[in-house]
Amino acid sequence: MKKDTGKYLPLIPVFAVYLVLFLMGKNMSGMWQLMAMLLFYCALGQAFNIFLGMTGYVDFGYVAFMGVGTYGMALSIVHLAHYEVLGAWVIVIGFIMAILFSTILSLAVGAVALRLRGAYFAIATIGVNEGFRFLIEGARIWNGSEGLIFMGELNQILGREAASVLATFWADVMVLVIAALAAAVTLVYMRSKIGYALTALREDEDAAKVMGINVTKFKIVAFVTSASFAGLVGASTWALKTPYVFPPEVFEIHYTIEAIIIVLLGGAGTLLGPVAGGLIYGLSKYYLSIFLPGFQLLIFAPIIICIIVLFPEGVVGMLKKRLRDTALGRYIV
Amino acid sequence: MLDVKDLESGYGPMQVLWKPSLTVKKGNITSLLGPNGVGKSTLLETVFGSVPPWGGQVLYNGVDVTRVPTHKKVDMGLALVPEGKHLFPSMTVYENLAMGAYPKKAMPHREKNMQLVYALFPRLKERSEQAAGSLSGGEQQMVTISRALMTQPQLIMLDEPSQGLAPLLVREVFETIVKMKTDIGLTVLLIEQNADASLNSADYVYIMHEGTIKAEGTPEEIKGSSEIREAYLGI
Repeated sequence: MKKDTGKYLPLIPVFAVYLVLFLMGKNMSGMWQLMAMLLFYCALGQAFNIFLGMTGYVDFGYVAFMGVGTYGMALSIVHLAHYEVLGAWVIVIGFIMAILFSTILSLAVGAVALRLRGAYFAIATIGVNEGFRFLIEGARIWNGSEGLIFMGELNQILGREAASVLATFWADVMVLVIAALAAAVTLVYMRSKIGYALTALREDEDAAKVMGINVTKFKIVAFVTSASFAGLVGASTWALKTPYVFPPEVFEIHYTIEAIIIVLLGGAGTLLGPVAGGLIYGLSKYYLSIFLPGFQLLIFAPIIICIIVLFPEGVVGMLKKRLRDTALGRYIV
Repeated sequence: MLDVKDLESGYGPMQVLWKPSLTVKKGNITSLLGPNGVGKSTLLETVFGSVPPWGGQVLYNGVDVTRVPTHKKVDMGLALVPEGKHLFPSMTVYENLAMGAYPKKAMPHREKNMQLVYALFPRLKERSEQAAGSLSGGEQQMVTISRALMTQPQLIMLDEPSQGLAPLLVREVFETIVKMKTDIGLTVLLIEQNADASLNSADYVYIMHEGTIKAEGTPEEIKGSSEIREAYLGI
């Protein structure tokens, strides 16, 4: 077994990348938007990796957790704005509601869908996302398809100036914090009994069962953790950055697909993988749309195919294998 | 040690077990024989809890464990070596064995059990750093059996351990099973289609047919009865 010293060293490269992104965005003019986008993709990957990477289950309804997280924040702002005593605490309450909403939804979905395996699980989760969206629209919950617009409330809480700084700066910083937290939780899980249980069930669920591992429990733990981070990402990147929510936008399956691509590109189940995946994905998307507008998808698809063929275990998965037993290997997990 | 009483279970609307009953005595090798599709594996999986029971009772050391979840049964000292080679392919042999020590009560005995397993299968020690998926079929079977031993069981249930192995390896597997009884003092419940080898190593034999127990006896009694042999074993 590895010694305890250096147990958490692999966080260094992850945090270093986040720090570089932050500093570049802050100090180089015109770079903040790009860096914010990269951080968003890293956070999305880091959060999704806790479930997809660690259990090997593909959740096609993942964006639903971001969606309800966004609603958690939006509803808090809409309903609590006129309590002046709360002040900026409304935002904190919003984040708590985001966690609460996504945890409840993921417990409900997990309790049912996690009994299914492989493709059946994936199909069931697509239904969840679409179903939830139509429920909100059809039953006119939370203002239905008209959505919630809360620019006014946000200005009322924070003042016009601060609200604009929140949208253009602090919301992105929060995404960074969430990404870093998700990375830390990933590593804590990896280094504990939870991680061993998840690795075992990813490799062979039946074998894990006969090892005395309560597979259902650990699947739900990973699912709920991953979902609450998604809720937080949604709350900060969607609700705070753009102060409105419309069901078709926050339940857009496109984001689930992006999350899957990021995790697989970088290396599912690795700590640094989502960072690498997020950077590769975000940068290619950004520059391809600048240099080859209209053709980005045409170019992007072969790039993804090449990476998957060259590094079936993801970029970091490959690195991890190469660097095993070297001095650098301790930092790449 | 293990008493199965009128157990019933199945898949969806299809009932597979029609109230078989059997007893596994402590320190014995009990063998369950029968052709394909009579419910032998289902019986083991229902006992273990991976297939939910519909009715009947499973007693382990006198305690009713019929509806105890699988992971708790492992804590109580039950181990199952599932059919086919369910190992963790990309982990090394060592890591596979270490995973076996996952239950809390097995953790403190990890090094001791590891030595025990390596003594039983010296070949695994040589291969300890290899990915388990790259081993030969026989070696993989050794890993799955060893990994079950790492959980510190009292009763080990083996589902067709000789399936798909070369005749020479089949003998080795059966020798190991006898060693588990004599050297480690384990109780064994063994499912087999290989009637010959099974009859030679078991202390007591049950014969299963169409979801129930059709005959039972010592290996000598089974071998001596031509009716049983012809009707159920075809030897």
